[in-house]
Amino acid sequence: MRWVAVAVAGLVLVAACGPSGGTSQSGGTPKAGGTATIALESELRTLDPLDSSLLVEREVFYNMYDSLFTIDPSLKITPGLVKSWDVSDPLNLKFTLQSGVKYQDGTAFNAQSVKDNIQRYLTASTSRRKSDLASVSSVEVVDDTHVIFHLKKPDATLLATLVDRAGMMLSMAAVQKGGQNFSLAPVGAGSGPFEFVEWQRNDHLTLKKNPSYWKPGLPYLDGVTYRAIPDVNAILAALKTGDIDIARTIAPKDVAGIKSDSSFIYRDTPAIGFNGFELNTGAPPFSDPAKRQAVALAIDRYEVLKNINFNIGVVGYGPIPPSSWAFDSTEKIYDHADAAKAKATATGFTFTYKTTSDPINQQLAALLQSELAAAGITMNIQTEEFATYVQECANHQFQACNVNWSGRLDPDGNTYAWWHTKGDFNDSLYSNAQVDAWLEDARVSTDQNKRKQDYLNAQKQIVADAPYVFTVFGVSAQISSNKIHGFTLYPDLMIRMAAVWKG
Amino acid sequence: MTTYVLRRLVLMVPVAFLVTIGVFMLIHLTPGDPALILLGEDRSPQAIAAIHQQLGLDKPLYVQYLIWLGHIVHGDFGRSITTHQPVTTAIGERLPATLELGAVALIWSLLVAIPLGTIAALRRGSLADHLATGLAVGGVSIPNFFIGIVLIFFLSVTLRLFPFGGYVPFNQDPFENLRHVILPAIALGTAGAAINMRFTRSSMIEVLNQDYIRTARAKGAPWRRVVFIHALKNALIPVVTIVGLQIGGIIEGAVVTETVFTWPGVGRLAVESIFNRDYTVVQGIVLLAAFSYLIANLLVDLVYGWLDPRISYA
Repeated sequence: MRWVAVAVAGLVLVAACGPSGGTSQSGGTPKAGGTATIALESELRTLDPLDSSLLVEREVFYNMYDSLFTIDPSLKITPGLVKSWDVSDPLNLKFTLQSGVKYQDGTAFNAQSVKDNIQRYLTASTSRRKSDLASVSSVEVVDDTHVIFHLKKPDATLLATLVDRAGMMLSMAAVQKGGQNFSLAPVGAGSGPFEFVEWQRNDHLTLKKNPSYWKPGLPYLDGVTYRAIPDVNAILAALKTGDIDIARTIAPKDVAGIKSDSSFIYRDTPAIGFNGFELNTGAPPFSDPAKRQAVALAIDRYEVLKNINFNIGVVGYGPIPPSSWAFDSTEKIYDHADAAKAKATATGFTFTYKTTSDPINQQLAALLQSELAAAGITMNIQTEEFATYVQECANHQFQACNVNWSGRLDPDGNTYAWWHTKGDFNDSLYSNAQVDAWLEDARVSTDQNKRKQDYLNAQKQIVADAPYVFTVFGVSAQISSNKIHGFTLYPDLMIRMAAVWKG
Repeated sequence: MTTYVLRRLVLMVPVAFLVTIGVFMLIHLTPGDPALILLGEDRSPQAIAAIHQQLGLDKPLYVQYLIWLGHIVHGDFGRSITTHQPVTTAIGERLPATLELGAVALIWSLLVAIPLGTIAALRRGSLADHLATGLAVGGVSIPNFFIGIVLIFFLSVTLRLFPFGGYVPFNQDPFENLRHVILPAIALGTAGAAINMRFTRSSMIEVLNQDYIRTARAKGAPWRRVVFIHALKNALIPVVTIVGLQIGGIIEGAVVTETVFTWPGVGRLAVESIFNRDYTVVQGIVLLAAFSYLIANLLVDLVYGWLDPRISYA
């Protein structure tokens, strides 16, 4: 299941029914020792943030590497390796770094290291971080603990970007020592709570405690083992047999059973992605806006939530989910299915919906098909092998395509790439000059209220034009044995292990 | 003998050449773009173009083929598109697991096939014969993935006698290694057992009717000696042919069995690589599979000479 980000968002789809973030207080005083085994939904391809593109890779990285910035459970930007920052000049961002931090190989983290890392992400031929850092022109070393990021143009999304892989700092000595095999064995490369031990592909990946971690007293666990289990039923089985302690994804149908089982702890919080399907505005029938709107009107999102997601999650109306500061709670023009209104808008046409063979995607397709039939719209389901489907959706060879988005911390990441005329993910060929202007303005504005207004405007227009039919917002979940404590839930699906302990 | 082997090896070259063209064209003409799989949610036209350039996918197909052919002639199978591991390492890491599975499956198939086939031939028309023939028909007709699922359901999930999938290296824990290999080996070897049994039976029946067997019996040779030394050895020639083909087909059979049992072998690597459009790894595995057939065929011909001294390759 490549492109796991998408797949996971599809499966975890789920609800605001759990506690909304925060640390679990169960189990009393934290104690050190023990190890935990965590399930990943697919095998990793690389351990180097430079060329990573999988959600499961990011999950491991967050426990091995430190980023310049971090987030709190409400998605607010908080200090990481950058202790404090001054962004009053939007073209020259001044960062003060933590002092006394060492990488696991013993080399020091300092301003030069920040400069070298950003340089590597910007220039290496295999780097996938170039577009993340497109606004950065250079990094200036002021002294050991101060750097200035010089930008080509103001970029309101940069700090959020530096929470993720583009902001992860690696020991350049370790990178050089690893050479061509660095991405398979990044020994001593991070400054995070755990360090790399071994990776036996398709079996396990082992990390051990970083004894000189710069945050005092952490981590509690002696080590963490990851196991790739690409089937949600097998993940549940492994949880029950005790082969794994922690998972992020189980099938929605199994959530109720796990919640009622006292040997497990289930938590979730609204995630940052969106789910639904894209419509190709560049070709018939969906070059006709009325036909797109008819489809959006005919879908009953509550039925999708109930039958496909077992009421885990909330119905979705737009691209920005409830976890974000730019969420629009008033956006409900397609609240309930309205077959009559859909029929009045457009009816009697046929289209083909592309999806993958995943059982949940298949159930969803069948449900959508029956709902559209009630409005006189014929939907043919075309199931394709994953690589073929990805290629056809990306190359605009579709009428409707079931693509979910795992989400980004900043609302820009949930909008610009998808619906700006020049967006990298604009499979729908959607183009609206006003939407472009709002999204561009939101990128460069430093005033959050202004940005929010831009996103509210853009969302309204995108939802009304319906290049994408939103169905539900998912949850970020954690399922663990009742011996695991100290979890903090984050909306970004990442399981951060530094403060987790075993009782 | 040496000349014969050398001649056979030289004759493999044109076959191998045709195989390279076939595998290269098939995987490259399949829809799907490795760059899109690699990039996932990070895709952008620039990143896609950069990957195409790095992998040489922007060149015409025949140029890509010639470059690849040039490299493999020098023993360089390239690096995996997804993990950057050398293809030989990626396959080499997985090969022991597949060979173990294949060997145990083969042993299982022969342990079942030769005794049952011999008994069925000796007691033609008896209940034992009908039973063995019925089992053989079942073994051939039931697909190995279904046998696998049934075995998992009853012996692993319900009775908990065997672990559900996974692999433990032999040098780490020999006992656990065997416990893990038994179910997949049965699933993989059952079809072969059925076929081998049919061949053993019909070949034994034919041999037992030969004049030299009657002569041996007439001379007063003990019955056991006649069956096991005179008859069975000669009856095994067609069985060897078919077993040889089965050895060559280990990787092919393992594709399904390894996926059902999450066995980390070459078969599963093939499946993953096809889904990821990891061209270099798929090409490497198909070449390996083709060579296994060629080598197995050669070995079969050499074993004939040992089983039947009248066959000579001088």
